[in-house]
Amino acid sequence: MTAPSSPLPAPSPRKRLKIFRWRAIGPLLVLLVIAGVVWWIFADTIARREAQKVGTQLLGAKVEIQDLHIDLANGDVTIRGLTIASPHEAFKNLLQADELVADIDVIPLTEKKLIIDRIAANGLRFGTPRETDGRVAATSDGKGSGAGIAERVLAETREWASQFQIPILQLATGKISIDSLDPRRLSTLPAAEALAAQADSMQKAWQAAFEGLQLGPTYDSAAATLAKLQRARATDPATLNEGRLAIERLKRANGRVTGLERGVKAGGAKLQSGLAGLDSARRRDYAFARGLLQLPGINAPEIGTALFAPVAIKPFERLLYWTQLARRYMPPGLLPRASTGPTRVRRAGENVRFPKEQALPAFLVRSAELSFLLRPTSDQPQRYAGRVTGLSSDPALYGRPMLASASGPQLTAGAMLNHLRGVPVDTAGATVGGIQLPSFEVPGLPIRLDPGAGTTQLGFSLNGETIRARFGLRSSNVKWARDTAAAGHGLTNTTIGDLIWRTVSGISNLELEARLSGELDRPSLAVRSNLDQAISSRLRAVVGEEVAAAERQVRERVDALVKEKVDPVRAQVNTLQTRANAQIAQQRTRLDELQKQLEQRLRELTRIRLPGTPSKR
Amino acid sequence: MFTLIKLIQSLFGALHSEGTPGQLALGIALGSIMGLTPLMNIHNAIVLAALMLLNVSFAGGLLGWALFVPVGFLLDPLFDWIGHSLLLAPALRGLWTSLYNIPIVPLTNFNNTIVLGSLVFALVLLVPLFFATRWAVARYRVTVGERVRQSKFYRAVMASKVYNAYKMFKP
Repeated sequence: MTAPSSPLPAPSPRKRLKIFRWRAIGPLLVLLVIAGVVWWIFADTIARREAQKVGTQLLGAKVEIQDLHIDLANGDVTIRGLTIASPHEAFKNLLQADELVADIDVIPLTEKKLIIDRIAANGLRFGTPRETDGRVAATSDGKGSGAGIAERVLAETREWASQFQIPILQLATGKISIDSLDPRRLSTLPAAEALAAQADSMQKAWQAAFEGLQLGPTYDSAAATLAKLQRARATDPATLNEGRLAIERLKRANGRVTGLERGVKAGGAKLQSGLAGLDSARRRDYAFARGLLQLPGINAPEIGTALFAPVAIKPFERLLYWTQLARRYMPPGLLPRASTGPTRVRRAGENVRFPKEQALPAFLVRSAELSFLLRPTSDQPQRYAGRVTGLSSDPALYGRPMLASASGPQLTAGAMLNHLRGVPVDTAGATVGGIQLPSFEVPGLPIRLDPGAGTTQLGFSLNGETIRARFGLRSSNVKWARDTAAAGHGLTNTTIGDLIWRTVSGISNLELEARLSGELDRPSLAVRSNLDQAISSRLRAVVGEEVAAAERQVRERVDALVKEKVDPVRAQVNTLQTRANAQIAQQRTRLDELQKQLEQRLRELTRIRLPGTPSKR
Repeated sequence: MFTLIKLIQSLFGALHSEGTPGQLALGIALGSIMGLTPLMNIHNAIVLAALMLLNVSFAGGLLGWALFVPVGFLLDPLFDWIGHSLLLAPALRGLWTSLYNIPIVPLTNFNNTIVLGSLVFALVLLVPLFFATRWAVARYRVTVGERVRQSKFYRAVMASKVYNAYKMFKP
């Protein structure tokens, strides 16, 4: 009970040091037995918690398991009461399953590889409500080193979807606002500055070229020769010869002037082209300024996009989330790949996997058979069946793409994730009929649309980084409701709001189609519906004039901003060209005049026609 | 508070035990592996078994563990970098691939950057830590050890039931 109080032992003769502490074997064995018993008692609980933790981390949404039982002797794992929350919707589950029975290979577990030969899933239900927010990835911004794969993918797909935020029908508010027009964003102004600089440099070049002609000495020499000839006689061959040489010099000077004239003409053409470019730039600025008008076009396709794009993009966004997640977890090739490590008090780090040819993948579900209910709360719930094969973390090792299919009354669905080669190809398609589609608010309008029971079609293909997708919705039981809660839109009791309400409220059919295509980072989205034309023609009649006036207004703003720059440049170019042409003409006239006088005098002296000179001068 | 008392008891118990400075130093060095690396891993079970089975200071092991846990937390970014560099080094890819596909080995979590980085760091630190600790313990015992043993503080700390548990594994 008390601390040892004896002094330090006196130095004793060196005794042989024992290496092993044999008496500790007993406690060590006891420790091992305790560990074994704890495992035996708590294995199911530990596995259930780990499965929940790993599943939540992988999917970016809460995974909850009521009961999990491991039967290692028979290689069976039974999960009861599985709930996977939706990573996109706060109070909805992605799916619930009454029971999952997995038949696993025990030996690969020693390599930390989970190989499931077969899963039988019963009592699957989709889209059921939940009481708590089950999103995990959605609460993170997906940035920083601590963000998991699901967080990052969700943030990426959310950002991707945000590029389709189409301006809502501001026009319908009856107000057309114009954002401030920043002169720095107009292309005419820099173009005018560039043209002015070009005109300046051209003026300098022409001036230098003109001075380079050195016509002064030629004029002086020709004038002096002419004076000599006036006094000379026909018998003075030296003076006559000097006169001929002067004519030759004048001709050469004329040739140089012609060369300069060609240069001036070419330069002038360039400047004129620059002026035409200013006009084009101004037209672009008109278009840019028109874009600042906060209104969509009132053409039918634009109406469809403004009304339904935010709704139509959601299924694409969700599918893209799952395919991108699959690409991260099921990458092609056999290179080492790092993924976020396990959540713990210490830093998670990264787990690096090292797939090896002809070895088992780290995770594989050879086959899963699914049985599920749709419309579970109705009097006659519909039973469906599905099948998934080849779900693997290393598709290159498994050697076959993942296939999924489901079928039943009014349902056909299929998907293929082919990550065998360098360029992954993911495709999915589904047609679901007779399903009560969720109601939604029409963006920008105080109108709520309840599509009722309709048919939904979805086609999706992501080939490398090229996306092609189609979403279709067809219903004949559409119900429209004025959403009084959405009074903040400012459309309540407005003429335009009433107009749109009157237009759509009488329509009971809805046909909506959204198409997405192009490179994944900049795809184009086209949405059309049977309502577009009706709304468009009504809107055009009412607000067409208002739009035209607003467009006139922005054109005037652009004109006012660019006038200060463009008009002086235009004048500068015209003056420069006129002056250069006048100078050339003046010099040419003087040269011609001197040449004419010299030739005239020579003719008088010699009375013969000089070769190479015009007959009439 | 209990942990702190236990730590101080361990420290004094180890320093004033009958074990040699080498036994205490090896215990601390082995304990540092458990402190520096994430605890719930197979290699730490081996270290624990070694602490129990080898004739080294078990208290020193606990002390090393307790002292190096905060160091481990602090150095996690460094361990991550070391582990990342090693695991993704092209020259070592063959080794890791072979190990990853051998039964049992993947259960050690060697493919985690923190686990590998911290383990390598701890193993590299093991030898200098052993020699430095052995020298420090020897110096302590020669210089201030006896005065501490006679102090009231030492008697108060060691007069606890917890000390008895320690005595079971004293070298």
